[in-house]
Amino acid sequence: MDVSIVIPLYNEEESVEALYAEVTAAAESLDREYELILVDDGSRDATRPKVRALCARDPRVKGVFFRRNYGQTAAIQAGFDHARGRVVITLDGDLQNDPRDFGLLLQHIDEGYDVVCGWRKDRKDSFSRRLPSIIANRLIGALTGTPIHDNGCTLKAYRGDIVRRARLYAEMHRFLAPMMSLSGARYKEVVVNHRARQFGQSKYGFSRIWKVFLDLLTIKMLLSFTTRPAAWFGLLSVPFLVGTMLALAISVYRHLTILPYMPYSLVFPSITVLFAFAFAHLIILGVFAELVVKVGDFKQTDTILAVVDGPGGMQS
Amino acid sequence: MNRTLRGEPGVSVVVPIVERYGDLRQLYHEFSAELTRLGQSSEFIFVVDDSQRGALPILRELQKESERISILQLSGSFGESAALMLGLERARGEKVMTLAAYFQVEPRGIGPALAALDDGVDLVAGRRFPRIDSFFNRVQSRLFHWFVRRLTSTDFHDISCGFKVMRRRVTRELHIYGGQHRFIPILAMNRGFTVREMDLPQRNEDRSTRFHGTGTYLGRLLDILTIFFLVRFTRTPLRFFGLLGLFLFLAGFATDLIVAIQKVVWNTEIADRPMLLLGVLLMVLGMQTLSLGLLGEMIIFTHARNVRDYRVAEVIRRVPPAPPLDIATEPAEPEASSRTAFQAS
Repeated sequence: MDVSIVIPLYNEEESVEALYAEVTAAAESLDREYELILVDDGSRDATRPKVRALCARDPRVKGVFFRRNYGQTAAIQAGFDHARGRVVITLDGDLQNDPRDFGLLLQHIDEGYDVVCGWRKDRKDSFSRRLPSIIANRLIGALTGTPIHDNGCTLKAYRGDIVRRARLYAEMHRFLAPMMSLSGARYKEVVVNHRARQFGQSKYGFSRIWKVFLDLLTIKMLLSFTTRPAAWFGLLSVPFLVGTMLALAISVYRHLTILPYMPYSLVFPSITVLFAFAFAHLIILGVFAELVVKVGDFKQTDTILAVVDGPGGMQS
Repeated sequence: MNRTLRGEPGVSVVVPIVERYGDLRQLYHEFSAELTRLGQSSEFIFVVDDSQRGALPILRELQKESERISILQLSGSFGESAALMLGLERARGEKVMTLAAYFQVEPRGIGPALAALDDGVDLVAGRRFPRIDSFFNRVQSRLFHWFVRRLTSTDFHDISCGFKVMRRRVTRELHIYGGQHRFIPILAMNRGFTVREMDLPQRNEDRSTRFHGTGTYLGRLLDILTIFFLVRFTRTPLRFFGLLGLFLFLAGFATDLIVAIQKVVWNTEIADRPMLLLGVLLMVLGMQTLSLGLLGEMIIFTHARNVRDYRVAEVIRRVPPAPPLDIATEPAEPEASSRTAFQAS
């Protein structure tokens, strides 16, 4: 299998047929063996029977149906789990991405890039929708050091072996590309066509910046903490160690200098104990975390997507 | 068809006998009669907790009358969830019904419930309605369910009703423990199953007022909290604990900042102030909450491979090497589990 095209669908009954027609036309013109994976994310409208009909009509179409709505990340993950292609392309189900950009994406993958991101430079959305997206992208860029303009664009192409090792976490599909590039994947941005929405409403809003921010922070933290748990918890405990020392010093100083007839205050000794307690707690947690990671099946290479070069790298 | 040939019953009835039991003989007769009337073959599985051994002689006698009864005698007291799980594991029918060990509802409610399963519902949870209970029972039940509804954002009115009918694929995915048997409908819903609440006429025998000890109520409260976390935060513990911890930490920090400013500006003696201590305590507490949330997140992260973020209902794909290009459609309702999701194509 050469190319797998993954499309998450959520309540897209109006556009499914048109989408299928467009994608098929574009994919056939590529002259490569391909499969089309339609992931129905628990739609409540007629999406499901329509996808079912497409599966019956065209053997290249594979349908994956969720029991209920799990969100776009899960849908894309499911698509990845079922994709067998050497290259995996994802795109939105709402026809705003243009399937005719496939060729461009594939061309860059063939040139040796691992991830090719679409960039909706001329975005056909309202400003109120574009602004949060701009801020979010800046934020992601600053935190990961990967200045990708348009992380929210679903139209992306990945090398299949990388994708199959990816485990999307929380809302991670948004910063999959920056995460991959962090681990050394070569990425490339290409300007893709973007069209105004023809049918229905936008379902996956991009306006929850704080959520993106939290997710990103979580993932960054997880990656560091899971790689070296004891060390990071140790680092976290340093301020408390300093606090313990300080409070202890003040207690001793006050003990030595206080006038004999003054009532002795327990505030600083108590603070010493509290801080020492927190310090010990974090150290113990660090050891415990070390244990958790050891027991789990986490491999850094798996999650951060080590890139295999040379023979065998591209063939899986 | 071949199912009946293999002697598998249409409906398996699981009756856990844990806390108390009523007239089991009558219970069995009425419900099995109703099932027979509905044209369903059935089996009854009585799971007897060690504390309720008194029920065994009656069941043994019943067993002599009918071979559709199996008795599971537990070697100790493991609670209702465990008893229920063990019973559900043994159930062979495609439809599984759970019953309280005493009369809660009229048997005539079975028919509509089973019919709902044929309509594509995965689990029918019984609701005793209209209630003929004592006032006190109704009040405590109202209060309990109000909490449950608020915390889980579901819409159930009587999850403690022992009457439930479900497809076996639901039972295969449920793993309940502790006091979670009450929350089966919520857990099933969370797994993406279609769940429906159905009104069933309440039985006269169910009227007696039930006073429970404080421990029971406390336990229930804890159960609700457990479910709340299970449903909301098992995927992202850090989102909850992290925010809570951050809030506590900042509150403590602000408190101490105020104390420090007062010291600098007004030269208030700092060592006599419990406020300072409170601030430190809050900061420590916040940090602990946050770090525990982080640890929880790490546990999930490192076991991510085993934790699926989604449940697949169905996969349609073609047969792998396919000279005659035909479509392999999975059965309309396959064992929808993560296993299906991974079918190597």
